[in-house]
Amino acid sequence: MNARSFRLSSFRLSSFRLSPHRLVIHAALLATSVATVFPLVWMVSSAFTPNDLITAKAIRLWPEDPTLSNFATAASRYPIWMWLWNSILTATLITVGKLVLAVPAGFAFGRMEFPGRQVLFWFVIATMSFPAVLAIIPTYIAVVKLQAFDTYGAMIIPSIPYIGFYVFYMRQAFRSLPGTMFEAARIDGAGLWRQFTEIGIPNGVPAIAALSVISFMGAWNIYLWGQLVLEDRFKKTLTTGIAAFADLEGTDRAWGPLMATSLLSVVPVLVTFLLAQRFIVETLAPASQDK
Amino acid sequence: MGPAVLSVAVFLYGPLIASVALSLLDWNLLSSEVRFVGLANYGAVLDSVDFRLSAWNTLLYCATLIPAQIILPLILAVMIHALRRSPAQGFYRGCLFLPTIVAYSVAGVAWSWLLNPVSGLFNELLDHFGLPRSRWHTDPNLALLCVSLVTFWKTFGLNMLLWLAALSSLPQELREASQLDGASPRRHFFTISLPLMAPTAFFISVTTLFHVLDDIVGVIDVLTHGGPAGRSSSLLYYLWQQGLQFFQFGTASAVAVIIIAVVLAATWLQFRVVEKRVHYG
Repeated sequence: MNARSFRLSSFRLSSFRLSPHRLVIHAALLATSVATVFPLVWMVSSAFTPNDLITAKAIRLWPEDPTLSNFATAASRYPIWMWLWNSILTATLITVGKLVLAVPAGFAFGRMEFPGRQVLFWFVIATMSFPAVLAIIPTYIAVVKLQAFDTYGAMIIPSIPYIGFYVFYMRQAFRSLPGTMFEAARIDGAGLWRQFTEIGIPNGVPAIAALSVISFMGAWNIYLWGQLVLEDRFKKTLTTGIAAFADLEGTDRAWGPLMATSLLSVVPVLVTFLLAQRFIVETLAPASQDK
Repeated sequence: MGPAVLSVAVFLYGPLIASVALSLLDWNLLSSEVRFVGLANYGAVLDSVDFRLSAWNTLLYCATLIPAQIILPLILAVMIHALRRSPAQGFYRGCLFLPTIVAYSVAGVAWSWLLNPVSGLFNELLDHFGLPRSRWHTDPNLALLCVSLVTFWKTFGLNMLLWLAALSSLPQELREASQLDGASPRRHFFTISLPLMAPTAFFISVTTLFHVLDDIVGVIDVLTHGGPAGRSSSLLYYLWQQGLQFFQFGTASAVAVIIIAVVLAATWLQFRVVEKRVHYG
């Protein structure tokens, strides 16, 4: 009896005050967080440290003599601003392409009845589990044969169809809308297309927004495929450019400019992530539990 | 919907089928000569020392990374969940998820700077404490471990978020009820919370297998290029090298088909195990 009431009261208290128990958890999480973020902090610090100081002594936490010279050096050696533009362009177009395919498909799977719906749905969903590397060789051959090598199209188009998760998620979103809304529209004589554009899309905006963010971050970071089909140094994206940068210079690469370029590639995704953190968490949550 | 199904068919299923066809040919992009060689590519692949080494490495990667990728994120998620209503919760979650949004090349570059055998921070720290330097990812015995570490760092955030989402959707009343019954938090977790999260656990266990296979390629390519002497290569990286550095499309496709078969078998097994649990458990 006593023990029970004790536990209850300590439970209540613990949500408002720092019990020793919670303190331990805080300490553990803080340590893990610091360790996790450290390589990135290190990158930032190196990006602003003059390059000749970097190799002389690694141990430092804050850049002494903070400088932007690494960015200037990187820009003089590699077209990093062009890379930045290429990243923005390809990531945006891939995201648009994915949404154009996935949103109507999600609507069809979630809101329409037609023969073979289940089979086709699984046909699309199963692609969630394809390791991307498996499709790379035939796609590469096709790109070369079509003389599309080293074009933006070669980077963008084959990256679009990885839409399994997007279709799955949009289907869930459209399904969760009350059926009466569509019923009413149908009675008013709205065809499927109008139901889709006038009810489906406006009500699916949160889901579409969340997927745009996820897709943009994913496309921004595409690495292997871009590495393969973008060879011209002016056509590279930031992520592939960085790899070329690191590769060309071998082990005594210019770490400072390299870190500066890496930082340049992290900032846009970081900002997007910070703005949309809650969105992303909420998007991933129901998707995993429904399976 | 039509375009979606079509694009998936053309760009994802098409290449898979093409892989099967290619695996029966002796062909490279530079020559116009195409010869049908039947299963010879498979024989050559299975005989190859490099293939065996990378298959063994893949097994090692899976054995270390899959349990780590499932259990450690769960522990972190439980800890973060225990701190709900604390303002620091979002901070921890954000920090721990951060590496997940970084590109492979950036992750590789950031870590190769830390691990750099000549002027990297880790070696300077070892010096500082009077310990012998290490060659880290350029040491044949440590390369695989370094790749695992970076891969884990780069990817655990996603599973952590999935666990966290599952934890926060558990009904609060259950915790209160079992508290009234005098169940310890640990007992509550293992007998009530965890079974309730079974769908998430299943989703994570299936996707983690694919992710581990896929993610390693990016890390290997930036950090070690499969070396030294193939000691950190994996099956998918071997495929990547065969096909796209040596342009041996036949052999590379044979590797692809082998991987597809293994992955399908593993997934089928996972589904079977779960089915058993659900129906008879």
